[in-house]
Order: sequence, then structure tokens, then C-alpha cells
Amino acid sequence: MVSISSPLSLLIYLALRLSKAPGKMVENSLLPGRAIYDFVILLSSQFGFILYLVWAFIPESWLNSLGLTYWPQKHWTVALSLYLLITVVIGYVLLFGINMMSTPSLNSIHTITDNYAKNQQQKKYQEVAIPALRVISASEVNQMLFLAAKDLYTKN
Amino acid sequence: MEDERSFSDICGGRLALQRRYYSPSCREFCLSCPRLSLRSLTAVTCTVWLAAYGLFTLCENSMILSAAIFITLLGLLGYLHFVKIDQETLLIIDSLGIQMTSSYASGKESTTFIEMGKVKDIVINEAIYMQKVIYYLCILLKDPVEPHRISQVVPVFQSAKPRLDCLIEVYRSCQEILAHQKATSTSP
Repeated sequence: MVSISSPLSLLIYLALRLSKAPGKMVENSLLPGRAIYDFVILLSSQFGFILYLVWAFIPESWLNSLGLTYWPQKHWTVALSLYLLITVVIGYVLLFGINMMSTPSLNSIHTITDNYAKNQQQKKYQEVAIPALRVISASEVNQMLFLAAKDLYTKN
Repeated sequence: MEDERSFSDICGGRLALQRRYYSPSCREFCLSCPRLSLRSLTAVTCTVWLAAYGLFTLCENSMILSAAIFITLLGLLGYLHFVKIDQETLLIIDSLGIQMTSSYASGKESTTFIEMGKVKDIVINEAIYMQKVIYYLCILLKDPVEPHRISQVVPVFQSAKPRLDCLIEVYRSCQEILAHQKATSTSP
């Protein structure tokens, strides 16, 4: 089990996980390839981090003298990490907003029924057997709860 | 016959439910919401005026102060006319239909009528509202093409939002009328 120690390794891990077929998700913990997969992530994330530190701290002149001249501007070292941080903060707000948007409103039909309940088959009632599992409509539930059992909900 | 009881809404404010039984096939339920409180009005006015004064000290433009007064007045009028509902009424007439009236604080009334042929049932439904799970009364409408399907959900008492005890009272009365209506409609 790899420990997600840096955001870079988290990003690489997510990218590799999402590129695999969804059907294989269940077997991941049993495959021996899993350990190699984790090790690759560890090495690449550590390498990426060291590279980032080199790019940020070592002056241009030293890098140029080594022959490595084609780097992006150093301004981006600060800018990228700041962008990442703000993205994480906005992610909290975004997730909250997505939650609120996907909650059905009070006048939506999805609070009462859904496609499965509409298309369910009515099985015949047999005397001895346990009745089949089915979705009970809102009207029946209301009658059972509020009309039949008179003192269940009227206590203040 | 008239009957008045007090209940509370989901936030804890006091509601008054007035029930009028005009006849065995016609009933009316009137829910009165709590009035606009002086405390909240002064709080909003003070914050708006303090903010305007703060802007004035920054910009040295006295138009901001008069604009703030204007905004407060217009905002109050708009709130009373479009947002603040004083009373909500549900009138059920057996063979005719269901009428919902909302009267606003400025005196405006808005009415919705649903004919009985479209009404499938009135139920108490639970749903997630903001950060709570609330009970609310809603009218289920039939699909004209297929009578066993529900085509639309119309919630009632949307701005009063009473609690379950009040809803059960209204639900039982409505179900008596609907049962009466079904019995008379199926008999030839």
C-alpha cells in the first residue's frame, strides 16, 4: 500500500488508476503487479519532487553551465504550486455546491418514485411464501403510517 | 365550523392553523406565518446604512448615502410584495378541485387551482431541504396518458413549512374528502 506523501504522487496515482478498465478495480489488491505499480508511483513521485526542487532553487547560471538550458521560467515554480493550493481550496467549495445541486428539489418527481419503481412487476401473492421484495408507493406508506396508527406520530 | 390551533414550523417559529369545515365535502386550511419581526428589519437596515457610510468615508460622495436610503426602501417594498408570505390557504372541494392561495404582506394574492380529475393523491413526503430532512405535504398529479403514473408533484405550504403534527391534521382531513370523492366517483 503506497502512502500518498506528496500531491504529485496523488496525481500520478489517480491518472494511472483512472486509465485502467473499471472491471479490474476489484482485483487490484490481489494482483502481484500491484506492488510494482506502487513502486513505480513512489519512484516517479520522488523523482518529480527532486526535479521540482532543483528547478526552483538552483540558480539559472549553474544549470546553464551543466548544459541544461531549456527550463520554463522560474516564476512558474511559485505560480504552479499556488494554483494547486487554490484549486484544492476551491475543490471544497465546488464539492459542496455539486452536492447541493444534485439534491432533488421539493417539487421533483425523483423524491417520490424512479424508473425502477415505475417498471417493477407485480408478482402474485402466494399464501405460504414470503412476499417478493417490491417498492411500496407513497400513498400506501402514508396510509399505513398516518391513518392506521393513530397515536404513533401525534405525541408532541 | 371553525377551529384554530397553534403549531410550529421547521425553524421553530409559531404558526396558526385555522380549519374551516364548510360541509362534509368542502374544507379549508389556513396557515398564518409569523410576521416580519422588527428586530430583523432594524438589523438589515443598520447593516446596509453602516456599509453605505463606510463607502461614503472612502469615496466622499454623498450620493451613496441617498442611494442607500433608496435601496433600503425599495428593497423593503419588494420584499413585502414578492417574498414575504403572510398566509397560505388550501381549499378542497370534493367534486371540483383543490385551490391554493398565498397572500403576501403587501396584500397581493396568488392562487393556483388544480381540478379533481388531475389529482391522484395527497401525501406527506420526506425530502432533503438545505441541511435538513423535512416532511412536507404534496399533491400528486395523474398522467393524462397513463392514470397509474405520477406526472407531477406539487408541494403545498411551501413558505410556512409546518412540522409533522400540523401536516398529519391536514392530511387526515384531506384523505377523508378524497375517500369520499373516490366512493362517489366509482359508484354509477
